[in-house]
Amino acid sequence: MSTLFERSAETLDRARSGDAFGPTAGAEPEPEPTALAAIALDDDAARRWLAGAQRSDGSFGLTAGPVENDAATGLAALALPPGAERERALDHLVATPARTLPSDPVVPHDPNVPGWGWALGTAGWVEPTARALLAFRRLRPDATGQIDGAVGFLADRECVGGGWNFGSRSVYDVDLPPFGQTTAAGLIGLHAPASNDELVLRGIDALRRLWPLERGPLTLAMSLAAYRLLELPEADELVGALERTLDGPAPDVIALAWIALASGPGLSELAVTA
Amino acid sequence: MKPMDRRTFLRRTGIVVAGSAAVGLGAGAAIPNLLHRFHRPWDDDAFAPPGRPKVLVARVDSYDGDLETTVEDGLREVGASLAGRSVLLKPNLVEYDPGTVINTDPRLVAATVLAVRRLGASSVLVAEGPGHRRDTPFVVSASGLGERLGEVGARFVDLNLAPVTRVPLHSRFTDLGELWLPAPVVEADVVISMPKMKTHHWAGATLSMKNCFGCVPGRIYGWPKNVLHWAGLQEAIVDVASAVRPELQIVDGIVGMEGNGPIDGTPVHAGVLVFGTDPVATDSTAALVMGLDPAGIWHVSEAGRFLGQSDLEQIVQVGEDPERSMTSFDVLPVFQDLKTGSGDAHAGLGDANA
Repeated sequence: MSTLFERSAETLDRARSGDAFGPTAGAEPEPEPTALAAIALDDDAARRWLAGAQRSDGSFGLTAGPVENDAATGLAALALPPGAERERALDHLVATPARTLPSDPVVPHDPNVPGWGWALGTAGWVEPTARALLAFRRLRPDATGQIDGAVGFLADRECVGGGWNFGSRSVYDVDLPPFGQTTAAGLIGLHAPASNDELVLRGIDALRRLWPLERGPLTLAMSLAAYRLLELPEADELVGALERTLDGPAPDVIALAWIALASGPGLSELAVTA
Repeated sequence: MKPMDRRTFLRRTGIVVAGSAAVGLGAGAAIPNLLHRFHRPWDDDAFAPPGRPKVLVARVDSYDGDLETTVEDGLREVGASLAGRSVLLKPNLVEYDPGTVINTDPRLVAATVLAVRRLGASSVLVAEGPGHRRDTPFVVSASGLGERLGEVGARFVDLNLAPVTRVPLHSRFTDLGELWLPAPVVEADVVISMPKMKTHHWAGATLSMKNCFGCVPGRIYGWPKNVLHWAGLQEAIVDVASAVRPELQIVDGIVGMEGNGPIDGTPVHAGVLVFGTDPVATDSTAALVMGLDPAGIWHVSEAGRFLGQSDLEQIVQVGEDPERSMTSFDVLPVFQDLKTGSGDAHAGLGDANA
């Protein structure tokens, strides 16, 4: 019987578009799914495509008129081999934290920790900040200012009781709940084996509560990645849930790539050991 | 009813800046009003004059009756022409919370699939790009929409992941200049915007125009679609709606949301569906049903200058009188001046999905 990794990797490989990967099977290649698949499948062709997709400012993402989405830059840095392209991607992240807004009683936040955004010139959010944090921690650990800033952002945007949603703790005095997928994203960025960090521990508690209620493929896959990176013992339950997911219609390529990444050897490329 | 002035708009959207006291010294309101009249950030030849669109307010007490026939009749009454045309239904699925009524009810969406088929559509699909969550299959499943669409054999497309097409903007309320919209939206013969009738803590109300935000793909514009907020939320609503141009609208006001909408408000039974062929006229009418002054909702008022009909005297009501169908929705204090009257008393619903 095939393992979860073998099944997801095979399905992912069938979904490729030439050397690279789009967000859905056979779609025009894009940096985010290609970076994830390159890591998950250890795929040199995908890495070459990715290197060719780097923009002049070192970023990776999608351009739509005046909108420069650069949120794939952290993932691309993690996927690229050591070299100039990877360093330029990290330089871009260093140079482009999100825009800050003044603190506001309606949407309270710390303006001193901007995080990273989905698009250049916009506000910071949890998932792109967690990606940037992971890239810095693995590939440029001496970027302590950026690492501290990203951790500070995640601490500031933590939901009441732990975990994260897209990045708003409260609006108009209403505490917003955490989501499974973004809580997993935050934990992937912050993970360290045997962590005693309260932020991480609260996030783990939140994720344990959330993923059984939010059984979408991306949530389950990123939760498995978080569990394995944190070396939590209950990962087998998530493997079972994901196997059942693969029995249904094929998930989109980003979710598939996360399943293959979380269940296979590629996850070591995201692990922070120190 | 008077249009909201720019200062009120800025105060509500939180972008009043230091130095505003220097604006308009000694000039009174005449110069800003004159400037506003001559500021026409749209291509005239891209938008037909709105005429006298029909809007239908239908009393519908619950989601359990023959919604398919209600929707079919409603679409016929407003003059929908669907025979032989491909149709995309765009419900509101911005995120999912089992404790309230964020989403267009799945029973209404499924009934609309069937009604649209009865009216001869060549194809129908249901599509949305959730704005807060990336895991769309979870939202579709948890909300119950997946099961309902399975029952009627309808396909769902995740607009956050669909291929995109560049669409030049013919209005310029933002500096975006163009939007990259999902091909299924661009290629559909008819887009039906199916919003939930809700208050909105930044925009006053979220109806068929604001619902078009879900057509903007998150993988470019983010989760949430923060690029649009930076561009100016109300301005972006106008530009996105003018790009998507939903030909038909069905507003789910059987149970709506009041207070701190669009996510954290309170369910309110308004007992109506609002049908229309002009998003500005439909949203103006739905606002009246909510007990809100449409002229005070900035994006409705501005869209009424070019995109559709906001002059209430020119909107042909072919169903219930919207003001007599009013359920006064509670709003946040910052939007209190939108309220038109007390309306019918109502009781909040304890179980959001009841």
